[in-house]
Amino acid sequence: MVKRVVISLGLLVALALELRAQESFAKKSPSVTLLPAPTAQLTRGKVNNVQLTFSVEPGFHINSNQPSAEYLIPTTLKLDPPTDLMVGKITYPPGEDRSFAFSPTDKLNVYSGRFTVLVRVRPLASVLAGEYEFHGSLRYQACDNAACFPPKNLAVRFAVKVVKPRPPRKKNPAQSPHAGN
Amino acid sequence: MKRDPLVIVAVAVTIALMLVVGLRSVRHQQNSASAPLKGALAPDFTLSSLDGSTVHLSDYRGKAVLLNFWATWCPPCKIEMPWFVELQKQYGSAGLQILGVAMDDASPEEIARFAKEMGINYPVLLGKETVGDAYGGVEFLPYSLYIDRNGKVLDVAYGLKGRGEIEDDVKKILASSATVQAQK
Repeated sequence: MVKRVVISLGLLVALALELRAQESFAKKSPSVTLLPAPTAQLTRGKVNNVQLTFSVEPGFHINSNQPSAEYLIPTTLKLDPPTDLMVGKITYPPGEDRSFAFSPTDKLNVYSGRFTVLVRVRPLASVLAGEYEFHGSLRYQACDNAACFPPKNLAVRFAVKVVKPRPPRKKNPAQSPHAGN
Repeated sequence: MKRDPLVIVAVAVTIALMLVVGLRSVRHQQNSASAPLKGALAPDFTLSSLDGSTVHLSDYRGKAVLLNFWATWCPPCKIEMPWFVELQKQYGSAGLQILGVAMDDASPEEIARFAKEMGINYPVLLGKETVGDAYGGVEFLPYSLYIDRNGKVLDVAYGLKGRGEIEDDVKKILASSATVQAQK
C-alpha cells in the first residue's frame, strides 16, 4: 500500500513537471539581467577595469558580440559615463559555437547562462573622489530552440567609487658605507 | 495515529486531478489568448512590397494564403524559407499564395538582398507595427497564419514547425472552397 502511495505521488510530481515544461515554451519571454556586484573602486588618473556580469534566462541564448552571420544582431553595450570618467575599450567574451534543433548543421556564436563584459574606465586626475553612477544599455536579440524574439535594450546602471591614488612609497635615502665616519 | 493508506491514495489522486484540470485550464486560456485569430477573418492590411507595389491582403481573397512574419535576424525563419519556396512552386498553380512580411529594422535594400540570397519566389512585404498589432503583437518569429480562400484563419503557427506540418496546413487551406473569386 505504501508503494502505491509513493507511486501516486511520483506520478503527480511527474505530471506537474511535464505540464509545466509544456507551459514554458509558448508564453515565456526571454530576459537578460545584470547581476549585482560590489561597487568597483577606480583609481583616479589610472585605467581601471569594471566587470559587468549578465545572465541569460535558461532555455534562451543571445547572439555574441561577433555573431556568425552578417544578418544576426550582435550583443552590444553602450554606456553614458559621468563627466570626467572616460570609457575606453569594451571587451566582450568570445561566444560559444552552438547548433540548435532548428538548424543542426549550422553553428551560431552565442551567449547563454552568464557572460562578463569588461569595461575600461579612466577617471581624470582632476575628478573628485567619491561615488559615480554609469547608465547605459545592453542591446541583445534572443532566441530559444524554435523562435526568435525582437531585439531588446536592457537598461544598465552601476555605481563606481573613485579613489585617490596611493601616495608613492618614500624611498629610503641611500646609506653611505662611510656615513658617520 | 494510523492513517488509512486508501485515504492517502484518494487524496493524492484528487490533488493530481485538480492539478491537471487547473493547469490544462490555464494552458487553454493562454492558447486562446495567444491565438485569438484562429477561426476569425484575417485582418486586412495595406503594405508595400519590395518591388514597390501596394498590397492588400484582401487582394488575395479566393486564394489560399500562407502569411509568414519573419525577420532577417531570425535563424529559424531562414530554415523555413526554402520550404516555402518549394511549396509555392508546388502548390502555386493550385491556388497557394505565400506572403512574407518582414518585421525588420533593416532597410528595404538589405531585406531585398536577403530575399534574393534566399531565392524567395513569393512577395515580400515590408511589415509595420500596426499590422503586427492587428495580428496579435507578433511577439516572436517565425509566426505564420494559414488563411483559407475566404480569408478565414484556419491555423496559426508560432515558432518553427516541421516541413510536413507546414505542408499539411497548406493542404488544409487549399482544400477550402472559395465563395469569392480571386482578384490576383
